[in-house]
Amino acid sequence: MNKAVAFSSRNFKEIIRDPLSYIFCLGFPLVMLAVMTLVNDGIPEEAGMTIFRIDNLAGGIAVFGLTFIMLFTCLSVAKDRSGAFLVRLYATPMTSGSFILGYVLPTSLLAVLQLITTLAASFVVSLITGIELNTLGLLLTLLSLLPTVIMLIACGLLFGTLFSEKAAPGLCSIVISLASFLGGVWFDADGVGGVLLDICNALPFYHAVKAARMASALDFDGYLPHLLITLAYAVVITAASVIVFKHKMKADLQ
Amino acid sequence: MNAIETENLTKRYKTKTAVSGLSLSVHEGELFSLLGVNGAGKTTTIRMLSCLSKPTDGECYICGHNCVTEQSAVKGLVGISPQDTAVAENLSVLENLRLMCGIYGYSPEKANRRIDEMTELFRMSEVANSRAKTLSGGWKRKLSIAMALISEPKVLFLDEPTLGLDVLARRELWNVVEELKSKITIVLTTHYMEEAEALSDRIAIMIDGSLAALGTLSELEAQSGESGLENTFVKIAGEFGKGA
Ligand SMILES: Nc1ncnc2c1ncn2[C@@H]1O[C@H](COP(=O)(O)OP(=O)(O)OP(=O)(O)O)[C@@H](O)[C@H]1O
Ligand SMILES: [Mg+2]
Repeated sequence: MNKAVAFSSRNFKEIIRDPLSYIFCLGFPLVMLAVMTLVNDGIPEEAGMTIFRIDNLAGGIAVFGLTFIMLFTCLSVAKDRSGAFLVRLYATPMTSGSFILGYVLPTSLLAVLQLITTLAASFVVSLITGIELNTLGLLLTLLSLLPTVIMLIACGLLFGTLFSEKAAPGLCSIVISLASFLGGVWFDADGVGGVLLDICNALPFYHAVKAARMASALDFDGYLPHLLITLAYAVVITAASVIVFKHKMKADLQ
Repeated sequence: MNAIETENLTKRYKTKTAVSGLSLSVHEGELFSLLGVNGAGKTTTIRMLSCLSKPTDGECYICGHNCVTEQSAVKGLVGISPQDTAVAENLSVLENLRLMCGIYGYSPEKANRRIDEMTELFRMSEVANSRAKTLSGGWKRKLSIAMALISEPKVLFLDEPTLGLDVLARRELWNVVEELKSKITIVLTTHYMEEAEALSDRIAIMIDGSLAALGTLSELEAQSGESGLENTFVKIAGEFGKGA
């Protein structure tokens, strides 16, 4: 456990000392929140389009922001794997479990900090725009997104383990785009329906966004299936990432 | 007991035998140099001895512990400074050292004591709080070696520790190695003959993964009839190539 804590603290420092982390993990979600709020302001009420209204936007942006935590997890792992630093640690008594915890703990902490920031910012927006957001709802949004945090960090670990430092960021940006699009962050998936909705339904992102939006609205009618689906994805992807990481580490030491 | 013992140690990759039937022993407290041209198998040998790679054939032991079946014992005994400098770039010198202490589970008191000892040994106090990525090559290399030493290893592997260093930095590093000599067992690889000459107790010359010669400098000179390590190395390498 000591080893995992020591390695976590190193990974935490590596991430928070990289200015890019602030730009992507904090700056970008906040900018999107502001921009989309302005866009929403320009949409006439008769259009009946509420996707960018803060009560819908808050949960969407929260999930969108978390996908960047996936990117940073992935980059940390891929970067370490490309250099000699990990080789040095492989020669110490560190186990694969301590490595995994060392990557997951600091990024989980960052994810929670990010969620607190974006949800607090959403609350401020709700005050300004006069559309009510409930603080209890926002707190429940944060809790509802914890399985998503785990799922995305596990995705980051998986991609960082499987792909090189060069390939990983490109792959992550595809996942980020897909997640926010197919999660229904930027359009009303329920309104569009059809095959697109089926695809959204099959993937975890739509359910994550749904669970977040419903929690923030304190509307728990049909909430549980969405939460359980993200939880199931989190369990499966976490298991996969742990297996792949252990396997890769063993292969590296052949 | 010998610090290192290898018996018929062999590493085969798909298309290449990197190390072939290597049998040697390194005494406790000895400074043992592994010489050989690029691709001779020096790094591969070190990787097998520090549990970073599994032998395809043969056995190797660190202080009597088998490198394959007793990995945790071996990992507690060895320190490695890899050929490529291996430090956490965004951490300061002190933080890098503290990280290693954490990984070895040291108490804060022990960690502080070891960090002080390392900063003194490598005269690193002026850069103690600098981020690793801002350090010059020489300082980085020193830090990389200090990180290998901080766990008080019985056997230290230095894979080309002075590669890319200027003359002064190299001499400084030699001084540190001199201070460590006889306290711990050191295996050094280098392409600088004068370095091996200045530091080693015994020298092994590897060619194409095999052991071509082994002995003290004077033994190797006598064996080859040449004087100076460079001439000796060239002669031995040339004869071995002819299948002698
Ligand atoms: N993972 C690997 N897969 C295939 N071949 C490898 C692998 N690692 C090393 N080799 C090959 O094994 C041989 C020995 O490599 P090694 O790195 O041990 O040499 P070296 O003596 O350390 O060389 P240098 O002085 O350049 O560092 C080389 O031909 C190398 O290409
Ligand atoms: Mg080498």
